[in-house]
Amino acid sequence: MGAYLDAALIPVGQALLSGVLVGGVYGLMSIGFSLAFGVMRIVNFAHGDLVMYGMYVGVIASTAFGVDPLYAIPLSFLLMALLGAAQYQLVFKRFVGAATLQQLLAAIGLGLVLQMIAQVVFGADARSAPSMFGGQFVLLGPLFASAAQIVAFIVAVLCTIAVEALLLGTRWGKSVRAVADDIEAAELVGLSAQTINITAFALACGLAGIAGTIMVTYYPVDPSKGLSLMPIAIIATTIGGLGSIRGSFFGGLFCGVVQQLTAMLWNSALQDVPLYVLLLVFIAYKPTGMFGFRTE
Amino acid sequence: MSLLAVEGLSVAYGDVLAVRDVSFAFEEGEVFVLLGANGAGKTSILRCISGMVPARGGAVTSGGRRLNGLRPHQVARAGISHVPEGRRIFPNLTVEENLAVSFIGARAHDNAAGALAAVYEFFPRLAERRRQFGGTLSGGEQQMRASGRAIMNVPKLLMLDEPSLGLSPVMSELVFERLAAIRAQNTTILLVEQNATCLELATRGVILQNGRVLLSGEREALQDSEFVRRAYLGV
Ligand SMILES: Nc1ncnc2c1ncn2[C@@H]1O[C@H](COP(=O)(O)OP(=O)(O)OP(=O)(O)O)[C@@H](O)[C@H]1O
Ligand SMILES: [Mg+2]
Repeated sequence: MGAYLDAALIPVGQALLSGVLVGGVYGLMSIGFSLAFGVMRIVNFAHGDLVMYGMYVGVIASTAFGVDPLYAIPLSFLLMALLGAAQYQLVFKRFVGAATLQQLLAAIGLGLVLQMIAQVVFGADARSAPSMFGGQFVLLGPLFASAAQIVAFIVAVLCTIAVEALLLGTRWGKSVRAVADDIEAAELVGLSAQTINITAFALACGLAGIAGTIMVTYYPVDPSKGLSLMPIAIIATTIGGLGSIRGSFFGGLFCGVVQQLTAMLWNSALQDVPLYVLLLVFIAYKPTGMFGFRTE
Repeated sequence: MSLLAVEGLSVAYGDVLAVRDVSFAFEEGEVFVLLGANGAGKTSILRCISGMVPARGGAVTSGGRRLNGLRPHQVARAGISHVPEGRRIFPNLTVEENLAVSFIGARAHDNAAGALAAVYEFFPRLAERRRQFGGTLSGGEQQMRASGRAIMNVPKLLMLDEPSLGLSPVMSELVFERLAAIRAQNTTILLVEQNATCLELATRGVILQNGRVLLSGEREALQDSEFVRRAYLGV
């Protein structure tokens, strides 16, 4: 009897383990999304597309230069942070402080542009970039995990801790939190809200780049990848408490677990369905509350 | 050259003129009061000095330097500290962080520890609450924090927008007591109030009505004015 139960529980345990491992990377992706919202009230619908570009950074490092994608993490962070700063300056600056419908549309438009550019530059085919840990598996009792996913998870956790430490413990972090609380009062104590916002936005986008580069070590990329990741970022951020870094990370874990449990109990092709349903529920019941949209 | 000179200042929100052709000036070491009823334009004047709203006309200068067109953080870094109406604490920062952000803004990290200690000496209540989040302070404590933060960097000019608003008589007395002490440390103060009792602290001031200067002069002249007697002292 016990043995049967154990046998039945193993797949569940396996799904939980895999869910937590991929969920950590979703978490890293989501904290960037959450940061832009929490500090600037910007709902960056193009955030997933920066994850997608981060994935291509890994692909190019590996295929064009023969470099392990894991070594491309700093470059990916830097490139996406720069791209993010440019986006802020060109598009989002004027929307700071009010998540309006226009802002959302601007972000969606920006995402479409980024996807088209990826389509032209990288083609529509799915590409992948295994790291040095690719194809290796680690046994944990009756369960197993891919080494690439474990490494990605560890990187994601370390980055999340680093971001929290940055926000709580540094002068820059205190300034960011002050601007998030009250942008006008922050200006009055001599903080330049523009400087702080652009650096916070760049950090948010840089994190998306890292998330992409570690994800591509076990998951293929194509130009639509970013868009398909957005529901996860939105759900993770919404259930984790908008603007909360830690909450978004755990929200990401939750999404990963839901995905893997669905894949195990139902069908892996339908693994995202419960997440879409959750998103629809959020939209149906909290259409404005979710992001505090103002439609005027 | 005056520490602060406001000349022919007008401030408008859309078509509504909130401040019309207001002029006043004061020197270092003064406590200058802007007195007026609700909607007189007091807050608008302070917000304009700080660069939060543009001037529709006129000029603001400090020691001859033009302030119009500067961003609020630039005005703050020029040594003009503005404690806005409603105190505006950062709710998700601790009391200590609330105070500390002004050093980051002023880029005066070297003085931080000493000045923090000075503020705690000034407002012992804040020292007890230093690890508490700003949002959990009582109104009076928030006012202490706001004034504390504003004096951290020994500003050239401290502008306070109705610091006694919403405080109990005891609390507001404490705040004014502290203001007198701040002034004794040679900080110039621009004080916005509806309550004429603050005139006791003042050297000079103006009375505003509907965005215009009704009367301008020395403390005694203001205290003896018909307007103050009628509106504020009920005689
Ligand atoms: N953001 C704004 N938009 C439109 N009108 C405004 C705005 N802020 C102030 N006003 C108007 O400008 C006028 C002056 O307002 P202000 O806040 O400067 O008055 P105040 O003297 O500070 O009053 P109180 O004592 O009530 O704080 C008022 O008629 C007010 O309605
Ligand atoms: Mg006012």
